[in-house]
Amino acid sequence: MKSGVLKEVIKNLFSKPATIEYPKEKTIIEPDARGRHYADLQKCIGCSLCMIECPTKAITMEKIPEGYEKPKKNPKGMYPVINYLKCIFCYRCVTMCPTLAYVTTPEYRLATEKPIFSRELSLKTLKGGEGDGRD
Amino acid sequence: MDTAPENVTKAMEIPMLLEVPVGPQHPALHEPVLLKVYASGERVVRVEVNTGYNHRGIEKLAEKNTFYKDIFLVGRVCGICNTVHANCYVRALEALLDKEPPERAKYLRVLAMELERLHSHMLIEAVMAEILGYDTLFMHIMRDRELIMKAKEILTGARVLADYMMVGGVRRDLNNEKIRRLNEILDKVEPRLNYYMKLFEEDVTIRKRLEGVGVIPPRDIINYGLLGPIARASGLKMDARLQDGYDAYRDVPFRIIVRDDKDSLGRMLLRWEEALNSLEMCRYILKNLPEGEAVPDEKRLSRVFPKGEVFTTVEAPRGELTYYVMSAGGTQPYRVKIRTPSFNNIINSGFVYIDHELADVPVILVSFDPCISCMERVTVIDYRKGTRRKVPIKEVVRGNA
Repeated sequence: MKSGVLKEVIKNLFSKPATIEYPKEKTIIEPDARGRHYADLQKCIGCSLCMIECPTKAITMEKIPEGYEKPKKNPKGMYPVINYLKCIFCYRCVTMCPTLAYVTTPEYRLATEKPIFSRELSLKTLKGGEGDGRD
Repeated sequence: MDTAPENVTKAMEIPMLLEVPVGPQHPALHEPVLLKVYASGERVVRVEVNTGYNHRGIEKLAEKNTFYKDIFLVGRVCGICNTVHANCYVRALEALLDKEPPERAKYLRVLAMELERLHSHMLIEAVMAEILGYDTLFMHIMRDRELIMKAKEILTGARVLADYMMVGGVRRDLNNEKIRRLNEILDKVEPRLNYYMKLFEEDVTIRKRLEGVGVIPPRDIINYGLLGPIARASGLKMDARLQDGYDAYRDVPFRIIVRDDKDSLGRMLLRWEEALNSLEMCRYILKNLPEGEAVPDEKRLSRVFPKGEVFTTVEAPRGELTYYVMSAGGTQPYRVKIRTPSFNNIINSGFVYIDHELADVPVILVSFDPCISCMERVTVIDYRKGTRRKVPIKEVVRGNA
């Protein structure tokens, strides 16, 4: 037994640390891990199903602001905005979406001082509206 | 007022019983529970277990949400065993809807649950190593546990909260590349599990601290309704996986590990054996995964549930977990009752500590500091003045009493 422990000690003395220096070094994460997701407004039809089905009520429907080209598929001009601090990343909205409009990313570094929403990311998928200035 | 013995002007009364509150916040305690330990000298004479510090109203909240949203809610009852909670609830919903998941989904569910049992057992072994004073061993086990967390991430998309169960199947499927990577991880973990098990079996210090401590005879297991690894370590063959054969547990071969040690060491060794057995099960599942669909279309699931009531059980890492779901028709459950194994195991465990030394109370093993409690407990009786007052022991030591 003692030799077993000694072997373990020597092995660990010469192996590199098991920890990584986050945030200097990035954590290795799966490309399909459940991270930040947002609606692709080219596909979204504004049906509000994701808002209804969200377990934490993290999604609200908002009007697409003036200056953006409103997609023909979306006659109501509504789009979902996710509050990432409320979101539990269960991806029910992703699977419930009738047009599979959600874009998923493995981005998990969401710590901020102010509330963060998917508004900007979603509006980037639309044409027009440069210099809107909303965060 | 007591009468003074001859030639005595002052006396000091130190009570025989020492009351030591451990928790709800305590360095050695990883859960918010209060153990009120009464000790006579170093011997524990009585333990009161007080719970209720983590009440979140989840059962009531489940009634306010829809059946489907509750799947994510029950997964958050416990972080360590979230897939078993979700599985138990989802199987209740499937019974209400009279729906059977496909074979592949059943195998994948078992894979997720067995990975969870693996990392849960590794966690508790690591915590045990820590409170024994073996901080290095704690670090090593946690490092190797991280591999299992990675396996869970590959399978479910998240390290801890899997959100993997879905009515009629699972939320994501495995491909060949992922199966290869999972097998690689299992190959890496197996020698480590064997090594740690050998360490727990042979290490002198671990044996001295755990052997013969907290012996529970099988009769007491039945009397107090203890479950899971605790019951199996006392020689009782008790496992919901065998009793119910839910999901793929009928098809996947596994051993029910039973030990006759009855003590803390037996319970820890049983967990290592179970972890090794879970690893074998994961290998079998990855090798014999049935072909077919595993992920149903969530949009096509029935929103309205028929009237009825279901009682489901599942073998969580800590014992038998039960769910009772009652539907009065409609989209929301009328009642969801959860009975977790820890509820039985912790609330009824007070008798185990009796006649052990204070240092043997498992959760306070090493970092217990008795001075805090006893310093208020010296009574100084002044016979001349006819007064009694309480003085901290440090004042007595300084000669101020």
